[in-house]
Amino acid sequence: MTNPVLMSAQVYAIGKNTFKEAVRSRVFYILLAFAICLLLFSYVLGFLAVGTIRKVVLDVGLSTISYFSAMTAIFVGIGLIYQEIEKKTIYNILSKPLPRSHFLVGRCLGLMSVLLVNLMAMMAVLSAVLVFVGGFTPRIFEAAFFIYLELMILTAVALFFSSITSPVVSALCTIAFYLIGHTSSALPDLLLPNITSDFGKRAILIIYHLLPDLNMLNINNLVAYNIPVAAGFTWRAVLYTGLMVSILLLAAGLAFKRRDLV
Amino acid sequence: MEEAVRIRDLNKSFRGHLSLSTHHVLRGVSLTVPKGVIYGFLGPNGAGKTTTLKILTGLLFPDGGEITVLGRTGASPKIRRRIGFLPETPYFYDYLTGAELLSFLGRLFGIPKAELADRSEVLLKSVGLENKGSVQLRKYSKGMLQRIGLAQALINDPELVILDEPVSGLDPVGRREMRDLILDLKAKGKTVFFSSHILSDAESICDEVAILMQGQVVKEGPLDKLLGSEIGFWDVTLRVGRGFQIPEGCSVLVQQDTQVLLRVEDEKSLEKVLDAAREAKAGIRAVVPHKSSLEDLFMAQLPGERAQ
Repeated sequence: MTNPVLMSAQVYAIGKNTFKEAVRSRVFYILLAFAICLLLFSYVLGFLAVGTIRKVVLDVGLSTISYFSAMTAIFVGIGLIYQEIEKKTIYNILSKPLPRSHFLVGRCLGLMSVLLVNLMAMMAVLSAVLVFVGGFTPRIFEAAFFIYLELMILTAVALFFSSITSPVVSALCTIAFYLIGHTSSALPDLLLPNITSDFGKRAILIIYHLLPDLNMLNINNLVAYNIPVAAGFTWRAVLYTGLMVSILLLAAGLAFKRRDLV
Repeated sequence: MEEAVRIRDLNKSFRGHLSLSTHHVLRGVSLTVPKGVIYGFLGPNGAGKTTTLKILTGLLFPDGGEITVLGRTGASPKIRRRIGFLPETPYFYDYLTGAELLSFLGRLFGIPKAELADRSEVLLKSVGLENKGSVQLRKYSKGMLQRIGLAQALINDPELVILDEPVSGLDPVGRREMRDLILDLKAKGKTVFFSSHILSDAESICDEVAILMQGQVVKEGPLDKLLGSEIGFWDVTLRVGRGFQIPEGCSVLVQQDTQVLLRVEDEKSLEKVLDAAREAKAGIRAVVPHKSSLEDLFMAQLPGERAQ
């Protein structure tokens, strides 16, 4: 029986170390600086593009934050486990009384906290730009919340692949997941009108429900056009994220449980 | 005799690329490490030492066999609470300082923060890094990394300390310091199970050894018994008169006036030399047996080609 106090101390220690690892690496700051530059650039774009400055800054700003955060989650996430094995730092960790599942959860939570800080920094810059152009709306934090839900899923996906394969394969698989997740919602509209048989239609719907749907977590346009989110939608999104993260962590745990650390 | 580690018929193999070939690393390893001793696990590179230690610490899973550590079967997290482990050429998070590393790894044992700070300080001092606790590990030398590695292996005050090649890559001073630290652990009542291919170091500190060759233990037991049973040669000093005939089966190392120092390689020849000396009424000044060194014993176990 696992002692819950020890378990939380272990998960916290691994998470904190993962956080330290990221914030003490230059790559993290370079990515953050680049994203902030793009956010500032959205102000310049506002003058060049057709439409109001506010809408352009909101559109470009939220998209920039969404993409950069996703890229950070993917490219840091794919090395979460593999690099520990490659650099052999894992020998010192897993020879301690730390169940492997706690290690995975700690690494995952550590990266999620890095992404949260990253997201908050970028949101602060976007808020400043919006205040400057006179178009600030607190709804950008609603958009940020949904962006973060997506980041949690991407982190879990990257961690899952990192625990079973190399960074290159992990990157390809996680990017594929990201792309499928953002296009799967169009699948029924795209394919159903061309299929006549009931069986075919059912098969398409089953596939559609099995594929990840990350688009449901993208409310950037709703915020830009100030359209309210449907009632109950937030809870559904939170539940969906929780379910996805749990399944992925469980799968990663099972794959990693009996893995030889050569 | 209480046992710290008991391994029986341990087997481990690794599959090659695409699972086309299988490499058998351990082929029925059996050994017993008594409590409170320094136990040397010796063998050439690739013999399977690290694989065995990794199985003991839960990093690898055996194909077959049985391991008992501190009275419990397997290498569960519960058992690992009582073990300290220093991996071969330890790799650490180089962005952490020495003190941060000890604090981080100590938290994995659930040691409270306040207690950890005290323990870290004592350990840093005991491994000679008292002024380096706030330095990032990327600035540590190889010897310092090995010492902080030992400190982290002791953060939980373990009963059993497993060290994988602890003196490998260290300069003579570093090796001496590491040997002293290991002896100090024994004096504190800990069991030290360490692997090495540096035989002189092992010989100077081990109580018991096992020699592993190609995944099998070929010799095991207390060092004095293993070496004591195999006297390599005798040096005999005689005071002889003129005309003393040196018997067959020995060689003259030094001859000065009436003193002669002979080297005798086997027991029969020794008796012949002593009989000849008595007959010639020569004075037998000294008969000094020389035991085999660990290196002799080790070389004798090597398979044909390598031994040559």
